[in-house]
Amino acid sequence: MLKPTTLAMILAGGRVDELNVLTYYRPKSALPFGGFGRVIDFALSNLMNSGIERVAILSQYRSYSLINHIGTGAAWDMLGRNRGISILPPYIGSEQTNWYRGSADAVYRNIDFVQYYEPEQILILSGDHIYKMDYQHLIAYHREKDADLTMGVIRVRPDQAHRFGIAALDDEDGERGGRVASYWEKPQEPESDWASLTVLCFRPEVMYRLLNENQNDDSFEFGRDIITRLMKAGGRVYAYKFCGYWGYTRTIEEYWQSNMDLLGREPRIDMEKWGFRTNLDHRGIRDFQPVVIGDDATVHDSLVYNGSVVDGTVRRSIIFPGVIIEKGAVVEDSVLFFNNHIGRNCRLNKVVADVNNTFGEGVVVGAEAGRQAEAVTVVGWNNIVPDQVVIGEGATVYPLLGSGRWKKVIAAGEVLR
Amino acid sequence: MIAAKEALVLLLAGGVGSRLNILVQNRAKPAVPFGGIYRIIDFSMSNVVNSGLKKVGVLTQYKPLSLMSHLGSGEAWDLTGRTRGVKILPPRTGSKDSDWYKGTADAIRRNIDFIESNPTDEVVILSGDHIYHMDFDAMIEYHRSKKADVTVAMMVVPKSQIHQFGAGITDNRNRIVEWEEKPKVPRTNLASMGIYVFDRRYLLDSLARDKKDVDFGMHILPHAIANDNTFAYPFYGYWRDVGTIQAYWEANMDIIKKESGISPEKWRIRTNFEAEGRAADRPPVRFGAEAQVQTSLISSGCTIQGTVINSVLSPGVVVEKGAIVRNSILFSDCIVKKKAVIDLAIFDKQVEVGEGAQIGVGEGHDIPNRQHPKHLYTGITLVGKGVGVPGGVKVGRNCVIDSYCRRESFREKKIDTGETMSKDGEIS
Repeated sequence: MLKPTTLAMILAGGRVDELNVLTYYRPKSALPFGGFGRVIDFALSNLMNSGIERVAILSQYRSYSLINHIGTGAAWDMLGRNRGISILPPYIGSEQTNWYRGSADAVYRNIDFVQYYEPEQILILSGDHIYKMDYQHLIAYHREKDADLTMGVIRVRPDQAHRFGIAALDDEDGERGGRVASYWEKPQEPESDWASLTVLCFRPEVMYRLLNENQNDDSFEFGRDIITRLMKAGGRVYAYKFCGYWGYTRTIEEYWQSNMDLLGREPRIDMEKWGFRTNLDHRGIRDFQPVVIGDDATVHDSLVYNGSVVDGTVRRSIIFPGVIIEKGAVVEDSVLFFNNHIGRNCRLNKVVADVNNTFGEGVVVGAEAGRQAEAVTVVGWNNIVPDQVVIGEGATVYPLLGSGRWKKVIAAGEVLR
Repeated sequence: MIAAKEALVLLLAGGVGSRLNILVQNRAKPAVPFGGIYRIIDFSMSNVVNSGLKKVGVLTQYKPLSLMSHLGSGEAWDLTGRTRGVKILPPRTGSKDSDWYKGTADAIRRNIDFIESNPTDEVVILSGDHIYHMDFDAMIEYHRSKKADVTVAMMVVPKSQIHQFGAGITDNRNRIVEWEEKPKVPRTNLASMGIYVFDRRYLLDSLARDKKDVDFGMHILPHAIANDNTFAYPFYGYWRDVGTIQAYWEANMDIIKKESGISPEKWRIRTNFEAEGRAADRPPVRFGAEAQVQTSLISSGCTIQGTVINSVLSPGVVVEKGAIVRNSILFSDCIVKKKAVIDLAIFDKQVEVGEGAQIGVGEGHDIPNRQHPKHLYTGITLVGKGVGVPGGVKVGRNCVIDSYCRRESFREKKIDTGETMSKDGEIS
């Protein structure tokens, strides 16, 4: 059998509480992004463009949407005799009775899968981040340094550093990277601004040993437990500096902002240039006809995918496949997922609407006319919003509300469940 | 009883369609792009699948490469699997003659072995170059209920157009009693759509009768009408033979008219994105801050900074700032540079129009193209694949710019209405 030199494992199980109603029915990695894809497409496209063709995805939270999205793996050209994506859900066996207790535990439980391929290095990635990276550069650095672990790092704003795994580096290789002198997981008072991207390249036997030892602990995370354990043991840990765009998006505001980064004269996220791929079979988006723009429509500074019909006005927004925007409706600074229907004379300002919502005639969501909204208003999936309802700025509407739940006015910041 | 779904489909996709001029220079008519992301043959293929039919033979002849790569494995139409499939049937050298297909019936006759190896009660014969939406299953049921030998799908067309079609006169049971192929003087307004359901045994016998019967409309049908049970299956929906530039342009424009009755998505028309390679993964349409778009069909991967009105754009078209595209059809990856103006034109793939150039200038809509007065006479200008029009050049109405005319081939700043420019820059 032809063995891959690099085996990639994507951690895709996380829900991310702050994303609220958007991750009630899907893990963050399956969250729609970019007008036609999902967040995990970035990691998968990076792998494809890096020529890494044997991939495992570790998933346990509401994996249906994710499993659907991955399909056969053919969308990323990972279907073939020596190419493939395997989804590894938790299982029970003679010694196993639990769910995955953490990312490190998830990999540990599938160690026989990993060992079967006898990889020369193992790449652990997060499926939750938006970025473009050629992993081969990091792998080359890892091999050059004969490292036990090489982690991708990026410089973050000092006031944000407490949210990440932070590494202090020596400047052994200047712009390229250096040896990690210290590592802290989400430090209260960060001593460095180099944050871990959760792109971890391991020497396999070192990773096996660490995972094994970790089983006696009571926490099972790569950042908090595995890296710190390796640092303590004096392992050769290196950092590879990355300086491109990195979308971390752990809050609704951040998620909204990274969507807006797709727009503008020189978008910070350029999916075409990045070689971005998604699975066009998921939700059947390959069968949608081109965008239909009606007689009185206005569309400015926006992304709109096939299957949408625009008869109203759209500004600075991301419109996913199958969205219908009727006459007189105005959609601004918003992200509308698949198959939303925006009725006549609706006004949406800074809204993220999950899939399959119907907004009745004259519904107003977000800041009142003429004012720039500050907070994002979020509408969960499969809602039918009655005519003329007003949903205030920053409100949260839960998915699948029964018709009896609705009222004329939902106040700013209110949570309707 | 064997379900109707067992019928074998033979799709005639070999036609040259020469009136489509440079659009069929390098591809068969069924492979001509249509409606932004589709090819003409997608309509027949999707109708077949949506009717529940599962076995299709596609008869090719003229420039089949583009068509074959588009059909691929048939997976796009869900035609892969143990009981389903698409087979490409190109002309072959037989034991006696090595000729090309001489006509529709001749093409089927040379593939009798394919019919023999897929024994079904009925054989459905279709053309791959029409835009329509039809349930063949209902037609087969009708064929059976009439106990017909042949059933011909027919629709009412204006009498002025009947000369382009096979015309039938029916009795009050819809039995066809008289037939005229492309009659000069119309006696009926009932036209054949080139869609036939044959009783398989009857088809084989008809084809065996005389090898000189090479065409269905000219030979096989008149004989069947005179001697056997031939019925008309009345059709009332949208159907267009997009065989002329004008008809092709109109059918494209019909998609953006909400009341026209054509809707590829509602008709569940599927296409093969994979055949376009990485083009399949094009991102959403990007509309710039000053974009103005009205009444148009815009495919994924387009970038619109300028103005687009009444037009159909295939994937990857770029319309720069200040440029205007009106009443036009642009195939994949055309680039319209700043301040260029396009009016009433069809661009094949990868045309680049330089800054400030104008395509479709003047009022000479009714001055036909001198080389092909029967192809271009309504004002539409054709620009071939890969043409680079230099900045500032003006092109009139009913013009043809041949494929791969590079920027340096343009010797003049102006191409007048009705003129044709060939690859070497010669204007005639």
